[in-house]
Amino acid sequence: MSKNGPLALCYHALFVAFMLAPIVVVVCVAFTPEGYLSFPTDHWSLRWFYAIGRYPEFISAFWRSLWLGALSSAIAVGFSVPAALAIARYRFAGRDAMTALFMSPLMIPHVVLGIAFLRFFTEIGLGGTFVGLVLAHIVIVLPFALRLTLASAVGLDRAIEHAAVSLGASEATVLRRITLPLIVPGLMSGWALAFINSFDEVTMTVFIAAPGTETLPVRMFLYIQDNIDPLVTSVSACVIAITVVALVALDRAYGLERLLIGRSVDAR
Amino acid sequence: MSFLALESLTKRFGSHPAVDGLSLAVEQGEFVSLLGPSGCGKTTTLQMIAGFVEPTSGAIRLAGRDLLAVKPARRGLGIVFQSYALFPHMTVGENVSFGLEMQGVASGERARRVAETLELVGLRALAGRFPRQLSGGQQQRVALARALVIQPQILLLDEPLSNLDAKLREEMQIELRQIQRRVGTTTILVTHDQAEAMALSDRLVVMNHGRVEQIAPPHEAYERPATAFVASFLGKTNLLDGASVRPEKIQFAGRGLAGRVRARVFQGNHWLYQVETGSGLVTVIRQNTGEPMPAEGEAVCLAWNSSPPQAKLGEVSAQQTEGS
Repeated sequence: MSKNGPLALCYHALFVAFMLAPIVVVVCVAFTPEGYLSFPTDHWSLRWFYAIGRYPEFISAFWRSLWLGALSSAIAVGFSVPAALAIARYRFAGRDAMTALFMSPLMIPHVVLGIAFLRFFTEIGLGGTFVGLVLAHIVIVLPFALRLTLASAVGLDRAIEHAAVSLGASEATVLRRITLPLIVPGLMSGWALAFINSFDEVTMTVFIAAPGTETLPVRMFLYIQDNIDPLVTSVSACVIAITVVALVALDRAYGLERLLIGRSVDAR
Repeated sequence: MSFLALESLTKRFGSHPAVDGLSLAVEQGEFVSLLGPSGCGKTTTLQMIAGFVEPTSGAIRLAGRDLLAVKPARRGLGIVFQSYALFPHMTVGENVSFGLEMQGVASGERARRVAETLELVGLRALAGRFPRQLSGGQQQRVALARALVIQPQILLLDEPLSNLDAKLREEMQIELRQIQRRVGTTTILVTHDQAEAMALSDRLVVMNHGRVEQIAPPHEAYERPATAFVASFLGKTNLLDGASVRPEKIQFAGRGLAGRVRARVFQGNHWLYQVETGSGLVTVIRQNTGEPMPAEGEAVCLAWNSSPPQAKLGEVSAQQTEGS
């Protein structure tokens, strides 16, 4: 194994510091006893963590974000399975156009989508509803779900399905017993990536969420417009803690690399 | 009437004929190889029998019944794929059991037949392993067991040994032949390896550019090749005076075709010579009997017995070609 030189080590250390510094600062600020954003020097306090309890809308926004991410990602993955199988296997008229259409939400600025959805949802009576949020989030996370589903569908050896057919399996059986189990790692990665993107989304959501359907990032964004106290930092610290716990648990149970890269040990 | 009949089977991709009017009759229990270089149409033929490729024209009959009217899943054929195509998320036992499950065989009976078939290929102890935990040769046997357990009317083998190393391939050839003899399943092997085809088959179908060059038992095809292509594809050959003369039929003699040894290679049980003569470069193979042999640069005379008459080949194109 080759060793990193001192320059490379220095570079890596700086890079990691650059990546982690904002997170460390936010977490430190959350422990301030002051009523404004300040880096604690001599006093540490849990004051702003207790304060979250006085704002139940943060708690409910957190759960809403969780559900919204889980639901919209699951539906997007559900859509991307047939789309990915068709794109991976067949050459048909409109195939490229279809792929471009599914990937287009990546290209369109979220602020534009937000305004468009605001107008559209108001028109059809979905303005400010949870259903509207789910629909809009399906659109923005679909490219992520499709990308990873497509990667695993392309990597599938068709001879495996032919083998199942030759052994007497119907098309439905092949899909259920062979194809789907083999692309599950891709589906899970797609879901995870889609979920992260949905949970994180604020630029578009801020336009279409109403009081009562605010997601956590939107709630935080609105809060810091009117307040200068460190409540959002303690909320951030909680989200970071939950994320770390979830990642460690996932890594133990399934393997993070497998999840985020979408490679299965079973698939050849 | 033959068991499996291919009648003027043709497949065109666009205007390019991949298989061009192939007719073949296979008897029950027979082991037939489709042999030829890549792109000769052998795999396409196999896929038409399996039902994964639809023929442009022609017919396939199995025991008198029109096979093309039967869906691939209902054809009851056992297929061993080049990549083995094992189900990676199932154990060896589950892989072999899959076909029986599809046939609705009761679980007790299923377990018995799976164990029996794994015994046949010598893998009974590994039923609980996953394919990724097996060596290439073991995976190959699982693929064979999975195809055989459904007691197929025909066993189709698509280059089944090409992913194994040379030594293992030879062992598997012998084993494959023994297993096929034992279960007696009519078998069609697709391969580009002439040694493998000759070792395993009752009959060869030598193909080139989508057409049949010759259908014959291996020994006959080797001794009396119908065309220059067959002569050059099946082993090494010399084209002398428009006739195909096998290198092992040529002897060093007191008189005959004069020449000079250009190169000689020792291959254990035999010597391989290249001799420069007036009729071009001639390949000679001599058994290693322990006797001293002509050295490189030495002048020699070549003699061969031309009766029974070697096949006269009209279209002499290559001076001397080596089969793959």
